Amino acid sequence: MRTFRRVCRFLHRELGFLTVGLTLVYGISGLALNHAHHWDANYRRTRTELHIEPVGTGPTAEITPRVLALLAPAEPVKNTWRAAPDLLQVFVEGAQYDVDLVTGKVVRSGFARRALLWDLNFMHLNTGKSPWTGIADAYAGILILLALTGIFLVKGGKGLAGRGGVLMALGFILPVVYALAVR
Amino acid sequence: MRKITLMLMFASLLLIASAAVAGDPGKIFGKGVSAPDTVLISDVLSHPEAYVGKTIRVTGTAVGVCKHRGCWVALASDQEGESLRVKVKDGEIVFPPEIIGETVTAEGVWTSNIVSLKPAEPKHASKHVAEAGEEKPACATEGASCKTVYQLSGTGAVVVGE
Repeated sequence: MRTFRRVCRFLHRELGFLTVGLTLVYGISGLALNHAHHWDANYRRTRTELHIEPVGTGPTAEITPRVLALLAPAEPVKNTWRAAPDLLQVFVEGAQYDVDLVTGKVVRSGFARRALLWDLNFMHLNTGKSPWTGIADAYAGILILLALTGIFLVKGGKGLAGRGGVLMALGFILPVVYALAVR
Repeated sequence: MRKITLMLMFASLLLIASAAVAGDPGKIFGKGVSAPDTVLISDVLSHPEAYVGKTIRVTGTAVGVCKHRGCWVALASDQEGESLRVKVKDGEIVFPPEIIGETVTAEGVWTSNIVSLKPAEPKHASKHVAEAGEEKPACATEGASCKTVYQLSGTGAVVVGE
């Protein structure tokens, strides 16, 4: 038992230090993504309205250069699209302009990656797939090891046979109660 | 114990190396494209029933993506004013807003679904109906309250020119 506890302490210590970084990645990203119904955790989105002189609903080849000249977007123009007879969309880096050709009203919808959070979410959601899939699997395995080795770190009244055991039981009961409640 | 620590460090360096060569994930989505021929989006949209169940490859400017999970991208047709939606499974492929305005080639199976135009019933109402043994009328055929929705169930896409 003494050797077993020594091994648990060793693994818990070494793996614990190793996974500080990834735990922060998943923890911070988890907080952000858990509230994805309240906000866009990946992009900061903006919407502004402006006006240009109406160019009318003539042929696309004629009106597009006029719209671009009037808009004079600061960003490089990627493409344009006549979405409807009275709507021209101009796509630029990080935004798009929806131009009402009849009224001259323009809505600029912009987006920008949230610094750091975009990268953390990218990893958490495994958006890039391989090779992060293997790394995430390894991290998950290490978390399981940390949980199991942590059980045996402390002896006596604060350990598994005492207060620690009570806390561990409560930690198991919580997800079980929730799983039963939502069925 | 020291040997195990050294092994852990070595394994970590291997993982770091594999992460470093991951490459830019933004150009190829899912399985990419492999179908030999590209079909005009206008052809698909003008005769959608002819392509149902077939694997097709289409190219167009990305003019919209899903803001929530990036689970669809709309590609502009070669004809003005129309577009085709490429739908993928949530999380399997994520189309970022950065591809809007880029030329995208997508591949998948052209599907049709008859959907109800009625507003969705609240969940508790459906449960009570099920408990009472009553069956909700299915939207099996197109009619006044149902319509056919066509979309490409995407398996892959590529941003052209990158």
